Amino acid sequence: MPLISDLVDSIGRAEKEVSVQLKEVEYENAHPVKIDFETVSLKDKADLLMRATKAAQEADDRIIKVQANLLNVKEKVQISSSEGKLIGDTRVRTRIAVSAFSCEGDNMQSGSDAPGAGMGLEYYEEMTPEEVGREAAREAIVNLSAKDCPSGKMPVIIDNGFGGVIFHEACGHALEATGVAKNASVFAGKLGERIANTCVSAVDDGTIPGAWGSQNIDDEGNFQQRRELIKDGILSTYMIDRLNGRRMGMESTGSGRRQSYQYEPTSRMSNTFILPGDTPFEELFEGIERGLYAKKMGGGSVNPQTGEFNFAVNEGYLIIDGKIAYPVKGAALIGNGRDILMNITKVSDNLSRRQGMCGSISGSIPTDVGQPAILVSSITVGGTANE
Amino acid sequence: MNREMWIKKALEEGFESFEIYQDVEEEKKYTWYKGALDTFVTSHVTGTALRGIYGGRLANYATEDSGDGQMEKVISLMKEQAQAVTSEDQVFIREPKDSEEYKDTHCFEIPAADEVKTLLSDIEKMILSYDERVISVNEVEWEEIVSKREIVNSKGLSVKDKSRIHVVIAECAVMENEEVKDSFDYKAVEKISDFDKEAFVKKICDKALKKLGASSLKSGNYPVIIDRDAMSDLLGAFSYLFSGDLISKGISPLRDKLGKEIFSGKITVVDDPRCPESYQTDNYDDEGCPTYKKEVVKDGVFALALQNSKTAAKMGTESTGNGFKAGYASAVGVSPMNCYIVPGEKSLEELMAEMGEGLVVDDVAGLHAGIDHVTGNFSLQCAGYLVEGGKRTKSVSLITMAGNFLDMMKKVKEVGSDLEWGLSNVTAPSILFTEVAIAGE
Repeated sequence: MPLISDLVDSIGRAEKEVSVQLKEVEYENAHPVKIDFETVSLKDKADLLMRATKAAQEADDRIIKVQANLLNVKEKVQISSSEGKLIGDTRVRTRIAVSAFSCEGDNMQSGSDAPGAGMGLEYYEEMTPEEVGREAAREAIVNLSAKDCPSGKMPVIIDNGFGGVIFHEACGHALEATGVAKNASVFAGKLGERIANTCVSAVDDGTIPGAWGSQNIDDEGNFQQRRELIKDGILSTYMIDRLNGRRMGMESTGSGRRQSYQYEPTSRMSNTFILPGDTPFEELFEGIERGLYAKKMGGGSVNPQTGEFNFAVNEGYLIIDGKIAYPVKGAALIGNGRDILMNITKVSDNLSRRQGMCGSISGSIPTDVGQPAILVSSITVGGTANE
Repeated sequence: MNREMWIKKALEEGFESFEIYQDVEEEKKYTWYKGALDTFVTSHVTGTALRGIYGGRLANYATEDSGDGQMEKVISLMKEQAQAVTSEDQVFIREPKDSEEYKDTHCFEIPAADEVKTLLSDIEKMILSYDERVISVNEVEWEEIVSKREIVNSKGLSVKDKSRIHVVIAECAVMENEEVKDSFDYKAVEKISDFDKEAFVKKICDKALKKLGASSLKSGNYPVIIDRDAMSDLLGAFSYLFSGDLISKGISPLRDKLGKEIFSGKITVVDDPRCPESYQTDNYDDEGCPTYKKEVVKDGVFALALQNSKTAAKMGTESTGNGFKAGYASAVGVSPMNCYIVPGEKSLEELMAEMGEGLVVDDVAGLHAGIDHVTGNFSLQCAGYLVEGGKRTKSVSLITMAGNFLDMMKKVKEVGSDLEWGLSNVTAPSILFTEVAIAGE
């Protein structure tokens, strides 16, 4: 095989007697599927899209176009290693994505929603396509009346669900062993130290039944776990794969993941979220003279080495004197992961998770982000209205 | 795969036309860390994508397992798929079209593994000893990528393309007073013995070191130069604007702008899949349509939208040979191939002298998230340095630049001369803008 000879050529030949006996590991599937998409007709699947599209179109006269996608994936993996381990997993997931476009005069805006789960088509019994279509339309309509967002440092309330992308970008990536093992993370060498305000506790939990970012085993054949990343502001664990674990002198936490066989596994997130606190949502607004309520976040990115991150606000509102004043558009939030975790001063009680695709050196993988609504006392908001 | 047999079978089953697209990707990747080979990945993947028109509807199927034993099952699945499609859009499997082929002039010499290891080891050592503030080299990498593409169809079309590229990548981190900054760069390397390691290392290290001691900036409108690297990234993110797909769907900011002035008269944008300077050239797009050089924007006027066969038909025009896929398994979309802003006369230093006081942006981040495709609005994290008296002074970080891309491209004062082809197939020279909204403190 040319690939094997390439490998020998690159790492050198070792003379060794090798004997391996594979023994299959059996376990109970924590994510059973009720309606296998392969047994459902194309027409029935297209109907899900039709229902979402219709609901979005009928939500408002100003909705002029709707796009909907349905994704169903079944991935079978099997891992056998020179240590004799043989283990497999079948991962099923589904996602519906709807984009709605609104228009009033020359002003065209968009809204979207894309929920999913590690489930079969039974998912659409709880998350109806209509609900998804209406949510996309709602955002597109709100953005028609949005004004330019002001700039500068201000308090920001980041809502639950996809708002958790802030933690994913600003902190999650920097807690992956990929960066930590090479000292290329702002949080390297900080175990047991305070890295966040005391009101912040966060986990990465790959075991939640039927969740988008869950698996039975990681891509190195280790069982997925619930990892308590931050407890009351103190850093308690990293997310670790085998290779980097060896480098760090630590055990794998079952975090070795990859997009497909074409990538090498490395430490990655699963379902990562801030745990609920006890502040009622309304109380987050108290005392804010001028700030931003970031209701729906877009994506973002982070440089784990420096901790600098950015992310987009897809639906935001200006807060004046503790009240929502009007919708704003074109805002981005930027900052440093170290600072923002310290600046989270209130955590509400309404935890929810949303779905995303996370890209890194081992490819694009499904992960959940999540949090309850939080108040960040000061963050740089980048907008276009220079006041 | 016996392609003739598949096509014959598909036609027998009632398909009006049938196409087989095959893509072979061979990759070899070495990474180096702390004086040793860290990872070595070699992959060889053949992807097969089938398209067939049945009852006027298009079915797509992609697989890595294209054994002839799959034939009957796959063709019947595709038939079922075509019957489920309800779109009225006209779809196409193309007729062959004569075109003179362009020969790639780049010549990549295949190195021995030891030569690669020596290169990576040298670069790592050179970065670590460049300056005492360098704390680590997180990544030194060598990649060899060979891609081959072949398309045949029932209408007699049969075309192929092949490309090879070798790339070196490095990233370094520097620290001073607890502040960490980093920088990375990559370069195509035709022959290792001719590669200027010193210049490569100097560029990466200097860029990281100059970022130290950076601070934010007061929010406001500033004269701004977006330098070559940042402007190339920005144009890449906005190159979707020229897509006939979004225009035909009515959801592009340029939906009713063909023939109208969209940018400053100083801007001309060319798309040339056969551009000799680029490292990736294509004689055909992924539908087998011959490619050619064209002006997309001429002196600020939107002259031509990029099209594939389907979007062209919707807009009553011809394909421009821009029907490319994101991967073998994706549907044919529309994308630019070697798209650039035609350079002007002045170097970056001359642009800085002309600006006098202002900001140079040399880094933009979050391009996948900070852009609203429907309006062209953007708000992006960026970094760079201040210019005072025409010269570089203080470094700036943690700021955003925001606005609307179409509005910004009307405020061009001068286009720089420093266009360069890297690995991306969208590129631009440095550009001086009269003002851009910057947010910081």
